[in-house]
Formats: sequence, C-alpha cells, structure tokens
Amino acid sequence: MEASPLVGVGILLLIAYVFFYLPRSQIRNLLVIVILFMIGYALVVTVAEMPVFGSANAPAYNHVAERYIEGAVAETGAINVIAAIIMDYRAFDTLGEATVLFVAIAAAIASLKAH
Amino acid sequence: MDDLVIRSVSRLVVPFIQLYGFYVIFYGHLSPGGGFAGGAIVASSMILYGLSFNLEAGSRKLGHDISSLMESGGAIWFLMIGLIGILFGSNFLANRFAGVSLGTPGQLFSGGIIFFLSLGIGVKVASTMITLFYSLSGGEDNSGTNS
Repeated sequence: MEASPLVGVGILLLIAYVFFYLPRSQIRNLLVIVILFMIGYALVVTVAEMPVFGSANAPAYNHVAERYIEGAVAETGAINVIAAIIMDYRAFDTLGEATVLFVAIAAAIASLKAH
Repeated sequence: MDDLVIRSVSRLVVPFIQLYGFYVIFYGHLSPGGGFAGGAIVASSMILYGLSFNLEAGSRKLGHDISSLMESGGAIWFLMIGLIGILFGSNFLANRFAGVSLGTPGQLFSGGIIFFLSLGIGVKVASTMITLFYSLSGGEDNSGTNS
C-alpha cells in the first residue's frame, strides 16, 4: 500500500464532512456504509501484510531475542530466560509494574476509605 | 457462607496452596513462574480462607497493618536491592556488572539479585491482591477510622 499523505488527508476530510455536516438522508447512509467498508478494507490489508505467526523473518525476531536466548544463562545465572528478562534485563520495567500495583492499591484504599 | 464441607476442605487445602505459591516464588529463576504468579497463588489461598470462613476471620488472620507493611515493604525491598548496584559502582538494578556472584546455574541460590527481586515482587503482589479483596468486599470496615 503506497498512499500519499494527501490521499489520507482527503479521506479524513471526507469522513469528517459526512459524519458532522451532512444531514440525515439516504445518501448519508450510503456514504457511511462506503466509508466503513473502506476502513475495514484498510484494516484487513494491514493484517494481511503482517508476518505469518512463527515466521523466522518477523521483525520481532531480531538480535535482541537471539542475545537473550544465547546469553541469558551466562549473563544472569538464571535458567528460566523469562525470569532473566523481567528481573535482570528489564528490571526497571518490573519496577514500573510494581509502581502500577502500588498506585492501584493506594487509589482503591483512598477512594473506599473516604466515605 | 457457613458450610462444614467447604470449611474443612479449605482448612486442609490452604497450607498446600501457600506452599506451592512460595515454591513458585522461590524457584522463579529455575522453573516457570516467578514473583507475579507465585504472589497471586499465595494471595488466592488467603482469599479462599476469607471466602470459606467469614471475612472478619480472614482479615483478623492478616490485618490491614501487616498487609500495608508488606505492600510498602515489597516496594522498598525492590528499590533497596536495586540500589545495591549503585553501591557497587554500576547502574541501578545491575546484576552481573555490580559484581554480584551469579552462582552455579541450576542451584536455588543462583542468578544474583533475581532471587531477591522476585521475592519482593511476590510479597507485593500477594499483599496487593489480599488488600484489594478485603477492601472491596468490605471485610475491614471497622479497622480504620469510624466514619
């Protein structure tokens, strides 16, 4: 799909015109159906261009995953690579998750004990 | 809910659930699991206790003060373990680069700080789930301020 940005802006303007300015009529309903089909077509094309599940050429399988699989035991000492990732390589991310838990429980208690 | 069968079975089952939860936490770096899953299992044992007995008995077993202490303690424990890396002249939450001994892979005490980090996460997740359950079910209304 090679659509220039001008086409995208035109489609957005058409959608805005149809949804916000056109009075209710048969033509408006027809245009709404056409626009919804266009959006659905774009989504289906996007999904069709995604790599197949499990394919070795997917962008997710880059050198980072290879590094984790090959060097996790030597670099962290943990056999479980998942634990090595979430507690060593991405430990700062885990700290963020712990912060999310803390904020959630603080908000729940604050709103429940307030009344 | 006051049922003899449920009470007897849950009294039998709760220690085993807690043992399994602690196993999942402590062996997180060796087998599938870790702090999040093990903490949820430990918390589910306390939730089962509170559901099969009544909520007051459950919240007496693990009061609000202890639960909030576990909650804050887990977060502070995680941060303190992370600060060890800075103390030894490396980055925050550094493991190997801070000079922590990694041990033999496959042993229980291996993996440097991973073991201690997942312990803190497990305590934190367990206390979060327990506190949320007892707060939302109204089991400890009379423990706070009488408003």
